[in-house]
This record gives sequence, structure tokens and C-alpha cells, in this order.
Amino acid sequence: MSFDIPSIAQYTPEATVFIGVILVFMLDVAGIRSRAIIGGATSIFLLLAFLQVLADLGSWPLQGLSTLPAGLLGTQNGPVIFTNFGLIFQGIFLLSALLVALASVSEADGEEVPTFYALLSLAALGMLFVAISADLIFLLLSVEITGIATYVMVGYTRKDRRAVEAAMKFYIIGALSTAISFFGASLLYGAYGTTSLTAFRALPANSSLALVGFGMVAVGLGFKATLVPFHMWAVDVYDGAPASVSAFLAAGSKKMGLFGIFIVFVAAVRIFASAQGFALYLALGALAVITMTVGNVMALEQTTMKRMLAYSSIAQAGYMLLGIAIDTPAALAGATLQITADVLMKAGAFIVVGAAVGLGVGPLITDWRGVGHSRPGIGASFAIMLLSLAGMPLTLGFVGKFYLFFAAVEAGGYFTLLAIAGLLNSALSVFYYARILRYMYMPESTGSATAGAHPLSHSSLGVGNAPAAPAWGSVRDEIRGTGSARWATVVGIALLLLVLGIYPTPLIGAMNSAAQQFLTLGL
Amino acid sequence: MSVFAYPSPLTDLLAISLVGAAATFFAGKWARWVALTTAAVSLGIVIWVMVNFQLGTAFDYQFVQVVPWLTLSGGSGGIGVNYTVGIDGISLPFLLLSPILTIVSVVYHWNETKNPAGFFGLVGLTNAGLFGVFVSLDILLFFAFWEIVLIPMFFLIGHWGGPRRHYASIKFFVYTHVASVVTLVALFAMVFLGGWSSMDFGGSISTAQVAALDTKNIMVVPQVLLFGAMFFGFGVKLPMVPFHTWLPDAHVEAPTGGSVLLAGMLLKMGAYGLIRIAFPLLPYGHVNAEPVVLGIAFLSIIWGAFLSLSQRDLKRMVAYSSINHMGIVLLAIALWTQLSVTAAVLLMFAHGLVSGLLFLLSGSVHHTYGTRDIPSIGGMNSRTPALTTMLMIGSLASLGLPALVSFPAEFSAFLATWEALRWWVFLPLLGLVVTAGFYLWMLQRMAFGPPRGIPDKATDLPFNEMISMGLLVALIVLYGILPYLIVQFIPHAAIFATQCFHGGSTVCTSTP
Repeated sequence: MSFDIPSIAQYTPEATVFIGVILVFMLDVAGIRSRAIIGGATSIFLLLAFLQVLADLGSWPLQGLSTLPAGLLGTQNGPVIFTNFGLIFQGIFLLSALLVALASVSEADGEEVPTFYALLSLAALGMLFVAISADLIFLLLSVEITGIATYVMVGYTRKDRRAVEAAMKFYIIGALSTAISFFGASLLYGAYGTTSLTAFRALPANSSLALVGFGMVAVGLGFKATLVPFHMWAVDVYDGAPASVSAFLAAGSKKMGLFGIFIVFVAAVRIFASAQGFALYLALGALAVITMTVGNVMALEQTTMKRMLAYSSIAQAGYMLLGIAIDTPAALAGATLQITADVLMKAGAFIVVGAAVGLGVGPLITDWRGVGHSRPGIGASFAIMLLSLAGMPLTLGFVGKFYLFFAAVEAGGYFTLLAIAGLLNSALSVFYYARILRYMYMPESTGSATAGAHPLSHSSLGVGNAPAAPAWGSVRDEIRGTGSARWATVVGIALLLLVLGIYPTPLIGAMNSAAQQFLTLGL
Repeated sequence: MSVFAYPSPLTDLLAISLVGAAATFFAGKWARWVALTTAAVSLGIVIWVMVNFQLGTAFDYQFVQVVPWLTLSGGSGGIGVNYTVGIDGISLPFLLLSPILTIVSVVYHWNETKNPAGFFGLVGLTNAGLFGVFVSLDILLFFAFWEIVLIPMFFLIGHWGGPRRHYASIKFFVYTHVASVVTLVALFAMVFLGGWSSMDFGGSISTAQVAALDTKNIMVVPQVLLFGAMFFGFGVKLPMVPFHTWLPDAHVEAPTGGSVLLAGMLLKMGAYGLIRIAFPLLPYGHVNAEPVVLGIAFLSIIWGAFLSLSQRDLKRMVAYSSINHMGIVLLAIALWTQLSVTAAVLLMFAHGLVSGLLFLLSGSVHHTYGTRDIPSIGGMNSRTPALTTMLMIGSLASLGLPALVSFPAEFSAFLATWEALRWWVFLPLLGLVVTAGFYLWMLQRMAFGPPRGIPDKATDLPFNEMISMGLLVALIVLYGILPYLIVQFIPHAAIFATQCFHGGSTVCTSTP
């Protein structure tokens, strides 16, 4: 339990992000408030940290640049443990922050700009610590670093009443959920005399106090992960917050909650598998199915784009929870893949919605009518994101879902039911994603599914009201409307979804081995 | 295994059709030429493949290419997913049909005015997806292409379709997506319960190993359940009664070219899945479920025929007659003999050509006469003789006139039924009588008799429509007179599918 000063090198990503935060504050003091400078600097620091994490993971072509001391992986050092699984999540968290930082360069300048970027980096810093925590208290404190930063981010514009209301709501719910988590942690300490997550794994299920403790920790983290029934805040907050902040909440902060649940419950399911048998698996499976069903059903009837995306994000959390509810290496790898896909899809989708104002598109889903034709670049990218969210092949969303359900069928028996529930949900979600595609590419769409006269009374040859063919001029217009940084981020995300959807081989390889290690070697 | 060359021409086929479809979207006013060239080049590759296809040398897939793609952690030591393509005599007819119907659609819509680049690009994308379905020999690859085909068809129906296109497109998408989802679970379960080490179902493994792909170590009850799930999933696409209700909406609302591909190719995907996966790999399943499958086949034949009889809309009538024809296909598959599977594949090839022609005709009747309502049109032959001639050829081909392509197909299907079920054959024959009845009745009302509901300026078929219909008529006659041209490929693969799995008969271990 000692901290080794020379081993500070292993914290290079964290240190990089932290230096970025200090720099942003110094620029603020110097009176520099330009998004291009501050956002650019933050993006560079986040990118450096991201590349460092990739190097630590040994991914091509950075494998020689790792700063992790040999033999560090998998050995606990005080409240900290480095694992490949945690490093993958560090990469995921940094990616979400990086995408948001890049995209928001295109937003308006203002005095709050440094605040936003400093908070974004701080939130990313908290998430980096979450990914290496080996101790419940350390985990919850790191979650809180991110939590406090995100509470402020939601209301950072200060003038928007809805954003401030959302920030208040988020803050109160967040504080409550943290309190519940810490209470749970204290119960666990009472039951076992330790808060070390690795120690939990080897312990017997000696008291129902521990079960209550795990349950309360799950409630606290479930708020962050927007699991039903702890999802109520999410829709209002995602709706009220600026779109770039919603992007970060859905892409980053939510994944942190899920990761927390993974590392806490990988111990809990083992402790209670012996005593309560299947009960905990059943409970987690039920939670996952309820979350995805509620999310999808509610998303069906939304009329504004942001609320629809918020509910779809809740539904996605349900799929990801399957990773721990099935508790096999394949399931955990599938969930990680799905989380990676969702970071890209949800960050991308909220960024697109944030760009809508610049494109002259309103907040309603029906306002997207014809956008596919008038804004070819953004339209096609958004369509790819929606198809990926719906789980269509050739996109990363398909690979993630496919792998998750594959793992569920492999686990057999009751878990097959989870796969069926998940797949039916996936089919249900096609309704609302296809509806947006319909508005975007079939602009004369009436909105009522059964509208239209008798089939014999009209021409069905489709002559007339031809939309303008995509032209390069309209692409220039749309880049001007959204800002080049945001446009490039959106198009880049869409391309990434396609490329990784067709060639996910390196991702799958890394996640398979990381999940395997995580489940077998201890945390 | 006969690994032909590296890379396989099938990979070229996929790559060219995908790239061509993508280029079509950006080709502006040249879109139709790009689409036509792409389809023609892919047809050329298919013909080259047919010429170089080795007939009856070994019970193997040909032109095989295997590239490792993913390894999923699962089973013992992981489950491999490969990019595996290859064909045999069962997939070859579909491979030929797809570019033909694509060319026909493109030519028919030559003067499309509503976003032509998008239309031709989506048609090309459908074609590329179909190629993928019929060459994939890996379960994940097969499923991925299976789903991809839905996306362009969704847009084709939803943007270029009839008045109720939005309803029809969503219904089509969700209905068939739910079916595929059920199939996917069953496919996974088959892989795990059968203890497979890869998702490959034919390409990377030799004949002996195919025989050892022993799903017989799955117990009877799970096998029946798996078969039931796959039968549902593939059957919705077929479509079979009672899961056929998406079809009339999708077909009637789809643009003409979309209907051609929908009826000509997409319906065949379901039957292909049954022949390729569900029946050979789940022997206990199909043996135990045979009464149900036969019952549904008879029901589809009779119900489809009577539904057609009651339609006033020409296009709707043709759509319902597809249910009847696919019912005969299902019947032939269910009998699962060499003759019946050959008949099923030939029947699908024939139906692809004939229903394509009939959907083109419904489109032409509609824009010539302003309506497709059968009772309100009469005496067409005096005003539009070319259109009427085509309509007669299409109707006669659909009801199975000798010397047209449906005849050898239906004849062999009924022969196989007689061999297996004896007098039951009169049930599907009753369906055939009704089919003949409604086509002749339709001709009598529309083509002959006193002129009714004819607009002042009824012009006969435009040149491009004439060409696309003429192409189909030529093929219908050619393959009707010389069915050997396509039949020669099928029986050998049909023996393989029906007898060689699970260490089947000795015929499979030797080269014939």
C-alpha cells in the first residue's frame, strides 16, 4: 500500500489531461476566450492522452511507446490497478471527451468557453481514475469528480433557463445517488471489513448486509448509467442541456456508470452465485430487459429529436448491461464493443442535433424532413449513425449487438431468453430510427402511417416533386452552417462506424483477451 | 475442395457491383448508364462463372475463397468467422437471375425523373446485396448480406413507391427484420449446440467434413425448435400463409423496378435459406416438422390462388399469385428429394422471370390506362397490341403453358409430389386450376371485349419498356424450350443437399 514516486510515469494519460486543464485556466486568466485556441489545445491534450492509452494497450503502430512499467498490469497497487480492460475503457472515455471537444470548437465564442473545456477535461480525468480503480471508495470518489464537473457543464451557459433547470435537477439527483452509493459502500465495509474490489471477489456471501450494500452501490451507479427505474432525470437533462454536453453525458458519463457496475458486480455475482444461486443473474437480466424495453417504447412516441435520442440512449444502456448479466468473456467483450459503438453513435447523433440550428433545422423530428437531400454530408452521416443504432450490418452497431446476442445464446438456457428479448427490442427500435430516415429521405412524408388515398386513384410511378440532386455547392453551405470542425467530426464518426463495422477484427481481438483476463485473473 | 483461384471471381462480382452501385449515386445524369454498365459487367462475370463451372465432378462448392475475418470468444477455443464465398448448382441460377432482373429494372426506369441517381444506385445496391446472400458460405456473412438487402429496398419502396408507400415501407422493414432476428437466434443456437468451431457451413471444409458437421448430436426436441424458428424466419420472406400480409402492401406500393427485384429475388432468399441451411443442417427438425411444412405449403397454394382470384387490382393480383407460386416451391422443398429440390430451384428461376414480366406489365398498364383496376379496362388489344401481347405471354407463362419456362418447373414439382405423396398432388393442382382461371379471366376482361375505360391518348409501349419486357420474354421462351441450359447445374447440388449431410449415403464420398 505504498505509492512509488518513480512510477508516476504510469499515470501519463492522467497527467496529460490534467496539464490540459491547468493550461485552459491559464489561458482564461490571460483573457483568451477563443474556441479555436482553447478547444484546439484541449483536443490536442485529450488526443495525446488517448494515443498514450493506445500505446499502453500495445496497439499498432504505437506499441513501443508504453509508459507502463513491466509487470504492472493486473497487480493491485493500493487503490489502483491497471488492467487491459480498464485501459480499453480509458480509451473509450477519452474518445468521448475528444469527440465532444473537437465538435464544440464550432460553437459560438463567449466568456464561458474556458469553463466548458476545463470542466470537460476534469470530467475526463475523473473517468480515467474510475477505469483504474481497485477500491470502492476510490471508485466512488472518481465518479464524483466527473459528477461534479458534469453538473456544472449542464448549466454552463447560465442564460438558458432550461439548461439551468436541468443542471439543478441533475445536481440534486446526482447528489442523492452518490449518497446512496456511499451508504452502500459503508454497509459493505461493515460486512467485510474492506472496500477493496479485488478482495470482495474471494469473499463468501456471509450476510444479507452485503447484498443490500451491493444493491445500494448499484443504485448510485445505475443513476449515472441511466438504468430503469433510475432514468427519470436523464431525459430532462439531455433535453435541457446544450447538445454538446448531452453528447458527453450520453457518450461518456453513462459509460462510466456502466463500467463501475461491471467492476463492482463482477465481484457481487461471484459472491452470491454460491449463496443465492441464480437470483442475482436474474435480477441483472431483468434490469437490462426492463431498461431496454422502457427506453425503446418511450422513444417510439417522442416528437423531439433530443428526447428521442435520450430514450434511445437509455435503451442502449440496457443492451450493455447484458455484458455483466451474462457474465461470460464473450458477453463482456460484446458489451465493450457495443459501448465503443455507442460512444461514436451517441456522441455523433447529439453533435448532429447540436448542429441543427446552424442548418436551419428545428428541434422536432418532423423538422428533419428532406434534410437527407438538402444537407447530403450531414444527412448521410446521421443516417449511418441511425442505421448503426438500429443494428444494421456493415456498421459497428451491428457487430456489437451481434456479439452480445451471440454470447447470450452461447451461455444457453435462461440467457437465450435475454438474447430473444434483446433482439425483439432491437426490432422494435427499428420503428423509430426508420421513421427519422423516412423524414430525412422521403420529404413528402405525411407523418401519418396510413394516410393516402386508395391505391388505384393515384400514380404510383413516382413522377413529380423531385428533390434536388446532391450537389457539391450544398456541401459547402452545410459546412458553413455547422462549422468545419463539427462537420469533420460528424463525417469522421460516420466513416469510423463503417470502417470498424466492416473490419472490427483488431477491436474484437483486444476486447476478447481483455474481458477474458478481467473475468479470470482477478479484477 | 476446389479452390479455384485467388481471389475468387465471386469476390470480383461483389466488389464490382458494390463499387458500381456507390458510383451510381454520384453519377448525376450518367447514373442510368453507370447502373446499366455495372449490371452488365456483373452479368458478364456470372456468365463467365457459368461457363467455367465444373459440372458433376465433385460434391463441392466451387470458386471458393476463404479469408479469416473475426474470432469470437465462445465455444472451446473460439468460433471463427470467415469471409467465405463459393457457389454450387443451387446458388448459380439465382446468381444469374439477379443481374438480369437488375438490367430489366434499370431499362424499364430509363426515363425515371424522380432523383434517378438515387433510384439506380439503390437498385444496384440491392443487386450487390443479393449477390452477397447467394455466395456467402458463412453464417454471419450470409446474415449480414441478408439484412443489407432490406435497406435499399426500404428506401425504394418508401421514396419511389405508390400513395401508401410510407406505411408499406415501414411494414416491410419491420416485418422482415423481426423474422431475421428470430432466424439469427436459431442460427447461433445451432452453431453452439452442434459444437461448430467456425460459422462456416461449406466453404473452408471438405465434403467429408460437411458430412461430419453433425447437427445430429443436437437432440430431437431442440432440433425441432431450431427448425421451427428458422422455418418461421425464412418463411416470412417466402412468404408463407399466414405470414404473408406484408407482401401485398410492399409489392403494390413499390415502384415497378422495386417490385421486380422484390418478387424476383427477395422472396427467393427465404427459400434459399431453407434449402441451404434449415433443411440440410437440421435433419430431425425437418423430418419431424414435415406435416406442418406440407400443410402450410398446401395452404399457401390454395389460399394464394383464391386471394388472387378475388383481386380487382392487377398488381395486387400478381402479388398474391406469388404467394401461390412460392407455396409450390415450399411444397417441393418440403418433399426434400433430388427431383423436388431441383424443381424448387427451377421453379424459383422461372418465377423470377415471369413475375418480373408481370410486374413490368402492371406498371405499363397503370401508366398507359391510368388505372390498374381490372374491371374498368377492356378491349386493350385494339389500342395497345404490343402491351396486350406481352400481357398474354406473361399470363400464359405464369399459368404454366408448355414451351414457356414455368412448365418444366411446375411439371417436375408435381411429378415429385406424385412420387412422394400420390393423390395429394390434386390439392396443388387445384391451385393451378384456379391460377389458370384467374389469369384467363383477367385476360378476357382486360384484353378482349368491348373497349372500356380507355383514355383518348393511349399510346403503346415505349421503346425502353419494350426492350426490358422483350428481354424477359426471350429468356422465358429460351429456358422454356431448352430448360437444360439451367437445369444442368441443379440436380448434382440437389443430391448433395438432400443426401450428403450427416454421413448420408455413400454416393457422396465418391466423385460421380
